[in-house]
Amino acid sequence: MPAGHGLRSRTRDLFARPFRKKGPTPLSIYLRTYKIGDYVDVKVNGSIHKGMPHKFYHGRTGRVWNVTKRAIGVEVNKQVGNRIIRKRIHVRVEHVQPSRCHEEILQRIKRNDELKAEAKARGEVISTKRQPKGPQTLASW
Amino acid sequence: MVFVKAQKSKAYFKRFQVKYKRRREGKTDYRARIRMINQDKNKYNTPKYRFVVRFTNQDIIAQIVSASIAGDMVLAAAYAHELPHYGLEVGLTNYAAAYCTGLLLARRVLKTLEMDEEYEGNVEATGEDFSVEPAESRRPFRALLDVGLIRTTTGNRVFGALKGALDGGLDIPHSDKRFAGFNKESKQLDPEVHRKYIYGGHVAAYMRTLMEDEPEKYQTHFSEYIKREIDEDGLEEMYKKVHAAIRADPTPKKSEKQPPKEHKRYNLKKLTYEERKAKLIERLNALNAAAGNDDEEDDD
Repeated sequence: MPAGHGLRSRTRDLFARPFRKKGPTPLSIYLRTYKIGDYVDVKVNGSIHKGMPHKFYHGRTGRVWNVTKRAIGVEVNKQVGNRIIRKRIHVRVEHVQPSRCHEEILQRIKRNDELKAEAKARGEVISTKRQPKGPQTLASW
Repeated sequence: MVFVKAQKSKAYFKRFQVKYKRRREGKTDYRARIRMINQDKNKYNTPKYRFVVRFTNQDIIAQIVSASIAGDMVLAAAYAHELPHYGLEVGLTNYAAAYCTGLLLARRVLKTLEMDEEYEGNVEATGEDFSVEPAESRRPFRALLDVGLIRTTTGNRVFGALKGALDGGLDIPHSDKRFAGFNKESKQLDPEVHRKYIYGGHVAAYMRTLMEDEPEKYQTHFSEYIKREIDEDGLEEMYKKVHAAIRADPTPKKSEKQPPKEHKRYNLKKLTYEERKAKLIERLNALNAAAGNDDEEDDD
């Protein structure tokens, strides 16, 4: 008989818990709050059987568009044929982590605001744009 | 028969997954804890308070706790060993003392939140099922009972503490099925029996039977009661006074503590990184100086 293409097919290793981390999940997973517009990573926790996303979404990052009692609505990009569709899935919080993809931008925004405020106090005009690394000189080798 | 290969190999230990620390200690039921702490995500940062009741051999601990990632935050706590301040010195772990501790915690929390005028609760303990009515301005303080690992049988002391907190004015969802005095056949709570337990009536009854049948056992078992001249008829009066004293002033009393004594040090103190580096430099300098002297002697 052939193998079949059920919902959780080919997920034997993907949904398995890591070595020596089986059993109860840490409580901090349940204590995190998510707001609409946050970036989250979808990472399936195989020991929680409810509210699991499909294996395609494991490892994807998306934005939160809905918050319900026990689950988060995440908007994820998926390529279907020749176009990318924004797919909206609902996932229980155990299968979601806050994403650090946006962290660097938020820190830069904060620092740039401070630099601009300081420059304004001094009366200068500064540019906070990031500059690309130029060609390297012999001295830097 | 002696088995030679009974020991646990290195491979066993490499693959062994330890349970959580509090599970190893047998103190926390994580399955229940997850379900109690879980707050609806669409309530965001609203705290979910638990009314935690724990019994040790000589004490009762009642706390209002909310969970956070850094650790549980205790909003207010009440212990049975504080009851001597309110006039109860013996029987600190019985049903009546549990009632007093729950009552003390409830009044304390409401006082810190400045809700104690609005929510008086049940001033006269009757043993009937009492739930707080919401007042006009603020909704009552809601907490969920956390019993821990005890077996929830009818008449357990945790439900005495629960009754104390309810009569104190907290909103704790409950049913009267497990209060002392609930009749399984008729499926009804007998308030008379419950009231008896709240005022130590069961202790008084035991005192009476012991006095008649085994006076020596009475002397040993209730020696502290006898020392303080508490007899079985005075118990109810005593508990009424304690309830009144708790309602009058539930704030915790600060006790004077001496600064900790200095102890002699028996082992060497560990050096800091700076101290160790300084020592090394000293040693190297000494070595170089000694080598320098030797070289000079050789040259000469």
